[in-house]
Amino acid sequence: MRHAQTAVLERGETFTGEFATEPYEVAWAGEARFFVQTVDGAPGTTATLTTQLSPDGLTWADADDTAPVEMATTAAGMVTWRVREFGGWLRLRGEVHGAGSGPEQGPRLRIYLVAKE
Amino acid sequence: MSVDLGDTGEAVRRGMLAAHPTLSRFSPLPRILTYDDFNAGTNGWTELIGNYDGNGNLSTVDDHMRDFRPPQLSNCTFFDTGTHGALTGTYALKLATRPYVGHTAVAIRRLTMARKGLVQLETYFTYKAEATLGGDASNNSFGGITWDGNLHPSEAQFGAFTVATDICGDGGMRYHTVMRYRNTTVDNKLDQRWVYPVVPEPTPREHLEGKAKLTYGADFTAPDPADWHAASDPMGMCFNEVPTKVNWHYLRWLIDTDARRNVELQVNDTVLDLSDVPVPVYSERYDSLENLLNFYFSVRTHSGVRNFLYLDSVLVSVDW
Repeated sequence: MRHAQTAVLERGETFTGEFATEPYEVAWAGEARFFVQTVDGAPGTTATLTTQLSPDGLTWADADDTAPVEMATTAAGMVTWRVREFGGWLRLRGEVHGAGSGPEQGPRLRIYLVAKE
Repeated sequence: MSVDLGDTGEAVRRGMLAAHPTLSRFSPLPRILTYDDFNAGTNGWTELIGNYDGNGNLSTVDDHMRDFRPPQLSNCTFFDTGTHGALTGTYALKLATRPYVGHTAVAIRRLTMARKGLVQLETYFTYKAEATLGGDASNNSFGGITWDGNLHPSEAQFGAFTVATDICGDGGMRYHTVMRYRNTTVDNKLDQRWVYPVVPEPTPREHLEGKAKLTYGADFTAPDPADWHAASDPMGMCFNEVPTKVNWHYLRWLIDTDARRNVELQVNDTVLDLSDVPVPVYSERYDSLENLLNFYFSVRTHSGVRNFLYLDSVLVSVDW
């Protein structure tokens, strides 16, 4: 059997502006897939989601063969994309556009990382 | 039925354990319930979360129990030397906090009791604070430690790790047994004592009933530092100077679910008699938890630097 593991990296936080998920170790995995779900939308907002890689969990570079994903976050919905040959760590760098400055004015996002041997 | 091998059977069991390349480093009770080496998965160790409403609305989860972080399978790779690897094989289970003062990461394993009696958890573990990279000279001092080529400020950036249970039976009587290595106090001074809480953990039901409301980053096991009492004198570990060297430590913790008591804790060459350590029971009874037997490990940062607890392997054994 192949080992597989789902990590919930964010569970419905409200995001405004720039953010990055916590470092997650996936050296054991050969393939992975992000799922980013808008739990509660925010009017007029979009998000840019960039896959990032790291050799040590400290220093990060954008993935060389995975384009940033643009996501509408005005209403409930979900986007997903695959990642391969990523080394030892994965995280997402994100930026929410169009949100007001208040703490509750951005979309609530749930971010899953599904890794498989 | 309980395990009674007789003298000959017990001698055979001990001989087979001694000759077993993997199990020889453990001292299990007669029946091994679980053995996890984390080279083939997380083996049921998963993120703890508080309870939520009938709509699956995670906004209803208590703030201090909504972000305990998913455990990771780590090959213990560091910026300076690359892959360290685990004690056995390549991978260890890693609990990692956020870089936020008071944040706690928790991994739990959920079982039930087929009988009551002695329960023993053994593990080979290590703990580290995340390395700091940069050019700021002030990073050479933290928590009273200044880098001198031997001691490293990283050691004072590690808060505490905890091994604990959540047990319920006899018609809803619920309690936790808890042992914590308090490396630093909440103001980042080295303490290095084993401590235990004298109050039961605040629960989601108590919050719903208006009895407890804790903030994100609160100590979910026992939020008031005054409720943690010392079970040992200061006891140094082998942190090994810098944040990127990993030395595995042995821990053996014995409890008695029949008597609802702690028994003893062994950490390398130190054995603590825990028979006088109280085990507070919830005053109210709990439904839906009959014969609950959960184990959890947690790690808490007091510095705001990410703290890590690594488990190479965990073995749970019983005398029933």
